[in-house]
Amino acid sequence: MSVLEFDSVTKAYGRKKALDNLSFSLGENKITGLIGRNGAGKTTMLKIAAGFMKETSGDVRAFGEHPFNNLMVSANMIMIDNDMNMPTALDLEEIMASAADFYHNWDMDLAKKLFDYFSLNPRQTHTGLSKGMKNTFNAILGLASRCPLTIFDEPTNGMDAGVRKDFYRALLKDYIAYPRTIIISSHHLSEVEDILEDILLLKDGQQFLHMPVEELREYAVVVSGKEEAINSWLRGHEVFHKSDQAFGRSYAVIRNDLTDDQIGVAMKSGLEFSTISNEDLCLYLTSQEKGGIDDVFNKG
Amino acid sequence: MILNSESMKPIYVQIAEWLETEILGESIKSDEKVYSQYQLAEMLNINPATAAKGLNILADENILYKKRGLGMFVSAEAKKIIAVKRRNQTLKSLVAELVREAEHLKVTEEELIAMIQEAKRELKGDS
Amino acid sequence: MYLTKVSLLDVVAKQFRFKLKSFRGMFTSLMLLQVMAILFSLGGEGGGGGGSDTFSYDMKFYSGNIIMAFMLIWAFISAIVVTTQAYRYDDYAFVANRLSSHLANILFLGWASVIGGVTFALASQSLKLSVLFLKDREFIESHPLTLLQMTEGLAATILYLFLFTAIGYLVGMLVQWNKIFMIILPGLLFGSLFLNVLLGSESTFVIDIGQFFVRETSFLLFTLKVLLASALTYGIAAWVSNSLEVRK
Repeated sequence: MSVLEFDSVTKAYGRKKALDNLSFSLGENKITGLIGRNGAGKTTMLKIAAGFMKETSGDVRAFGEHPFNNLMVSANMIMIDNDMNMPTALDLEEIMASAADFYHNWDMDLAKKLFDYFSLNPRQTHTGLSKGMKNTFNAILGLASRCPLTIFDEPTNGMDAGVRKDFYRALLKDYIAYPRTIIISSHHLSEVEDILEDILLLKDGQQFLHMPVEELREYAVVVSGKEEAINSWLRGHEVFHKSDQAFGRSYAVIRNDLTDDQIGVAMKSGLEFSTISNEDLCLYLTSQEKGGIDDVFNKG
Repeated sequence: MILNSESMKPIYVQIAEWLETEILGESIKSDEKVYSQYQLAEMLNINPATAAKGLNILADENILYKKRGLGMFVSAEAKKIIAVKRRNQTLKSLVAELVREAEHLKVTEEELIAMIQEAKRELKGDS
Repeated sequence: MYLTKVSLLDVVAKQFRFKLKSFRGMFTSLMLLQVMAILFSLGGEGGGGGGSDTFSYDMKFYSGNIIMAFMLIWAFISAIVVTTQAYRYDDYAFVANRLSSHLANILFLGWASVIGGVTFALASQSLKLSVLFLKDREFIESHPLTLLQMTEGLAATILYLFLFTAIGYLVGMLVQWNKIFMIILPGLLFGSLFLNVLLGSESTFVIDIGQFFVRETSFLLFTLKVLLASALTYGIAAWVSNSLEVRK
């Protein structure tokens, strides 16, 4: 069964489309990374999935039901984001007690242990926390609630490097013990990619890629060499990015559909192949135009 | 084992190769149980699906076999299969690279063979 | 995958407990208001005096009217606060939908009215005692009350408070829906008063509505009138809120 399904979903704000005919389906008990540039529609998609917002058109299903204004979906889902509202009158311990009341699978033992490990103060109020501490606390809510659909929207903003690492490790360990469907959106693919199973890449409100993260590693390849050699060789290949470097050399990221023979021939003509990190690849795949920041300076 | 995320090789391939080395070095003997995908995932801080992919490569090559409900075990022919595979793939491509580099540097075949013999002597001398 | 089954009532009960904790500041403000109202009331509301060569007297009325007025305003404003964005979003921190959120709010405001009613009864008693001690006078009660009358009085106070929470809830939702109501609603209120004065007519629209409840002599009918009016007002508020996003 598919835990979350979008079928040609569009969300329009006036004339601007935040989501444009988006379709995908998330399988049960997978950790999916949601990747995209700012404004690609990640947060809009997550809020529609969580039932906080209503789509303009199309069909959304969470656990087979329409999530908007749906109590069953709400009880089985938690969305952790940076601007989570918590009552100002409650301290952190009371907020955890309330969460325990609301969520059936809540694990207070885990929550308390994480709370102590990250040195949070039970008497502190939510609004009094620094950004990093607030997100650490929210992340604890997300983990301890053990919802069948758990959504983290940029969970590590403001956390220091050590806490980020600890959080992802805690997430992985708890996921292994209690498998569930998890979506993590992040700007920093490199820090999450190891614990992901699938990756969903959004561009301009549309699905650009949806595949196992290990396949993404083999999706593209970098070829570099003399400019003329590259230019003639590139014909007939799908080029995601190309830039000219110093000393008449060029660098191109292309679709990895090459045969060993093709690579052999290319290497004989002095071209070199290397891999590209998923993070860089995603940046190239979602960039608005070919070229890059260098062109801004070259035109003058 | 430490994963190299900068490596050209996907993580699951690195896992498979590491297990092969463990089997060759008899850290895990034949008919012994190997780590489960969940143990690997925890050890290496990776998604269990990625770990499973590494295990499945070895199962497809008959280096591991599955026992229903019990996990994966090292097959009797595991060492032999690994040795043959490494000879045909890893060693072959290393030699190919060696030859290419020699060509580049205009090192003759005789010189190259002499260099290999010398390296072998040094290895023996060390041990 | 094991999915949690939920019932509406269960979620409403959870949200109600959550609100009791998170809205506790409202009861602090209630206590402060009552203390202030008692202090205001100590001045008395009216009186007179007279005498002759041999004696003189002066007379003062004390009543809980000021306390009641303060509390109606408190009920009205508390309900508006509940409808503000920050408080509405708090609901969706955990499990909720619109219906459960409205029901829990109504339940909470009803509870607040009960607390308000009971503390009002206590506050008016303390006013009596304060006057007695401060003024050092003999106490003559104008109408000794029977237990039934006192109970009816308490119930009526609670009902009035509840009616005012309903009005506050509707006003709050209208303003959340469109900020223009921040101008329209006071405009309508003062406009109608002003028009009445201008036309020289005796009654005003607002007072007419008030008379509908105040003039009712049957307690049962009064209760029905208030509950129906509150339900209608809450219903309209819930309908208005349907076009609001639940959490951004």
